[in-house]
Amino acid sequence: MTKPAFNPSLPAARLIDPRALMTIRNLELRARVVVEGFWNGIHRSPYHGFSVEFTEYRQYTPDDDPRYLDWRVFARSDRYFIKKFEDETNLRCYLLSDTSRSMAYGSVGYTKAQYAATLAATLAYFLHLQGDAVGLLTFDRQLREYLPARHRAGHLRHLMLTLGQPAAGSATDLAVPLRRVAELVRKRGLVVLLSDFLAPLDRLERDLAALAACGHEVVVFQILDPAELAFTFENPALFEDVESGRTLFLDPAAARKEYLRRLEAHCAGLRATCGRLGAACHRLETTRPLELALFDVLRQRMRRRTQVRRAGRYGPNHA
Amino acid sequence: MSFLAPWFLLGGLAVAAPLVFHLIRRTTRERTPFGSLMFLFPTPPRITRRSRLEHLILLVLRCVAICLLAVGFGRPFLKKTVASPPAPGSARRIVLLVDTSASMRRANLWAQARARAESILRSVSSADQVALFAFDRQVRPLVTFEQWNAAPGGERAALALGKLAANPPGWSGTRLGDALITAAEALADSSGKASASAGRLILLTDLQEGSHLEPLQGYEWPRGVELSVEALKPGRSSNASLQWMAEAGDSGAKGAASLRVRVGNAADSRREQFQVGWARPGGGFVGESKTLYVPPGQSRVVALPTPSAGDPVDRVVLRGDDEDFDDTVFAVAAETARLKVLYLGAEAEQDPKQPLYFLRRAFQETRRQVVQVLAHSPTAALGAAEARDALLFIVADPLPGETCDAIRVQLAAGKTALVVLKSTALASTLAGLLGLDRVSLEETRPDSYAMLAQIDFRHPLFAPFADPRFSDFTRVHFWKYRRLDPAAIPGARVVAGFDSGAPALLEVPAGKGRVLVLTSGWQPADSQLALSTKFVPLLYSILEQSGAPDPAPAQYRVGDVVPLPSLAVGERSAAVLRLPDGSQAELAAGQTNFSQTTMPGIYTVVSAQPARRFAVNLDPAESRTLPLSVDELERMGAPVSRQGPAAAYEVRRKIRLENAELESRQKLWRWFAVTALGVLLFETWLAGRTGRRLAVQGGATS
Repeated sequence: MTKPAFNPSLPAARLIDPRALMTIRNLELRARVVVEGFWNGIHRSPYHGFSVEFTEYRQYTPDDDPRYLDWRVFARSDRYFIKKFEDETNLRCYLLSDTSRSMAYGSVGYTKAQYAATLAATLAYFLHLQGDAVGLLTFDRQLREYLPARHRAGHLRHLMLTLGQPAAGSATDLAVPLRRVAELVRKRGLVVLLSDFLAPLDRLERDLAALAACGHEVVVFQILDPAELAFTFENPALFEDVESGRTLFLDPAAARKEYLRRLEAHCAGLRATCGRLGAACHRLETTRPLELALFDVLRQRMRRRTQVRRAGRYGPNHA
Repeated sequence: MSFLAPWFLLGGLAVAAPLVFHLIRRTTRERTPFGSLMFLFPTPPRITRRSRLEHLILLVLRCVAICLLAVGFGRPFLKKTVASPPAPGSARRIVLLVDTSASMRRANLWAQARARAESILRSVSSADQVALFAFDRQVRPLVTFEQWNAAPGGERAALALGKLAANPPGWSGTRLGDALITAAEALADSSGKASASAGRLILLTDLQEGSHLEPLQGYEWPRGVELSVEALKPGRSSNASLQWMAEAGDSGAKGAASLRVRVGNAADSRREQFQVGWARPGGGFVGESKTLYVPPGQSRVVALPTPSAGDPVDRVVLRGDDEDFDDTVFAVAAETARLKVLYLGAEAEQDPKQPLYFLRRAFQETRRQVVQVLAHSPTAALGAAEARDALLFIVADPLPGETCDAIRVQLAAGKTALVVLKSTALASTLAGLLGLDRVSLEETRPDSYAMLAQIDFRHPLFAPFADPRFSDFTRVHFWKYRRLDPAAIPGARVVAGFDSGAPALLEVPAGKGRVLVLTSGWQPADSQLALSTKFVPLLYSILEQSGAPDPAPAQYRVGDVVPLPSLAVGERSAAVLRLPDGSQAELAAGQTNFSQTTMPGIYTVVSAQPARRFAVNLDPAESRTLPLSVDELERMGAPVSRQGPAAAYEVRRKIRLENAELESRQKLWRWFAVTALGVLLFETWLAGRTGRRLAVQGGATS
């Protein structure tokens, strides 16, 4: 089976516009819409084969262990599907959501925090559907909420409620929550970090390295507003830092170039850090459809599985 | 176009503000929240070409509005040509009015005045015409325009200065108001009516408070007469004054009298301690002086015991003052007038039933007046000297013809005779006194009594009784009287009549004098008159009408006219007076007024027997030496012009006033304000429209 690369330029109509999505007040419903859309997209998409592997469902082929046949799917669809859950059920995913004030900024009708919460909810919902255990940590300068990774009835709802709380934190400090996660989560799992990373990255590498050293798979989502990315302001104005309240009078036309350069350098630094630690780093503009973000996570998972499988098949000796 | 407040045009520089604001990119006070400023650094607003191009119309409108407002606030007006003052080089008519009042004797005021007059007279051009006037109570022309013009060009100033030097300050008071009017009139009259500028009046004075400016109040200053005031200021300013108040104890017969003087201290005086007391001419105090403490601006009244008549002191002197021109008050000792009343009657003096008994007791002796009643037997011959000395003749018994003639001579000279008709036997005597052949008298005895019913209170004899409190004569009963027919006596005037209609008191003129006829006696046999309260006042009234001097002493000031009637009447020759400086002055025959009171001091009428003295003092107003402000003259309506910088200031002020009047008439600022408002309204509308359009465009692009 070929693995066609995901084409991000899919027809826009197939993806859900985040603006429209954010009009849904219920976070769980929002996540469900995304996931179901994602599913529908997958089923209608020409990359069917890809998705089977991707979603850990595979049509039964001879030589497959019949123990892994999903009889429920067979009952519904009269088809044989192999469900490989030995790995996945063990998956513990921790969603680390930044609730600092900088996340409360948004120029497109909703904030980065809302976008991050929706993304986290989508991931949680998706993983929950797969039967994975999902945990949640919200943080700003310190850990705010902590929900251990579980897969039980009501947990998802609890998680959704926690995510639905408004972002009312203070400044961003990634060090404390990352260290705390490293302390709390002993078992290996997937750590999804949702933040704008608009903070100094001095100690980020060390803390991320601590997580990676624990065997966690780390996915970093840098969520940024389009205005932050393009700095589309035109008129001179008094800019106020939503996090610190600091004000600055500046002429955007004059400051844009330097800003973009610095932002890009910052993002490059983040990517480099993640790259060194084997963590996936995705920069998400808040106008980007959430399905694509979900896709990024799954692709990351798939890539990692492939790498692991290759490493297991050939082994170090082979190399 | 001119501006009343041109400095407001600087406000036009404010057009720089919209220019700069248009060049600076539009800033906003609104805060723009942003995720993080960690990648941003402050950048100042930049000047852009784009904004200048975009809002050019708005910029122009705003600049125009500011300029219009600046011009409006500058109070613009359209200047018209104003008649310019005459060129300084043209001929002028100048009256130099110099104060020669007593207050100019202070310190070096007169030297200042002469120096100032000299500089003025030397500075006039040969074409100028100058008159020199001096004034105190009156204005004296020293040099007239004609005399000035007649003098050779080089000697004019010397002539005027010589005249001025010959007229130093006297002792008179200051009548500045009258002097200004006189001088202004002279200036206005002497110049042609066609000329716009009649001339200039230069006043050299100390401008003291007591200058009497009141006449200026109702005076319309002649057009074109310009007044310049050269206010002279004395070096020293301490001045206290002495003023004669009044003599106390006039009514006391022999008691100790005192002279009351007021010691005043000028408000700007620096001295407070003074001594005051009687003094001899040119000498120190006689007796004890009184030490007074008078703060500046206040006055004290002090009573000084009047010295005895034999003491030669005649003045009260104030010591401790810088300016001594007003530190002396002259006072003559009170002189006792001795009046003689000649009673022509035969009765015994001690008989209480006779008129003489009451007459002697009617006149009381006072310090100023001693009335001597001399009884003279009717049968004895009346000496000429005796008749001359008598002021009043009272006839109570029939007189021989010679005596009547002697009395008639005195009557013709102005004396008075009172005929008391005790009986009808006096008919021939009365006829003799009146110069008639006969007068018929009829003894009348009323049933009960008669009383005075018709009294002419307008007559000087009864004028003191005119007040209703004293006019009741009904309690004076007359038991009998002698009826006579007033119509039979030419010129007779009934002053009082009985209730029966018969005359009670008649006045008949006789030569310069007169004969008073009382038709009843005052003794108890005839009437109750002698016992009534009316008797004594009536007698004094008769005495006063006979020419007795006024008991109240008169105070004279320098320049006053002193009446000397008794001298002129009594002596047909000229009276001779010795003036305080020792010189003598003669009063022309027939004149009764002495007007040469040019200096304070004691004036003595040496020709009178005995010599009569009167004191003349300084006008108290001269002691009010506090300088007046020149503005006071302006307030009184005199158009004072200033000299030097003050004159230039005055010219500027006048031009400014004219400009202000023009501006207030034209009110051009209103048009500028309205235009500016219109421009601003249009600008507001345009700015709003532009803003909306930009907002719409912005919404469309986003």
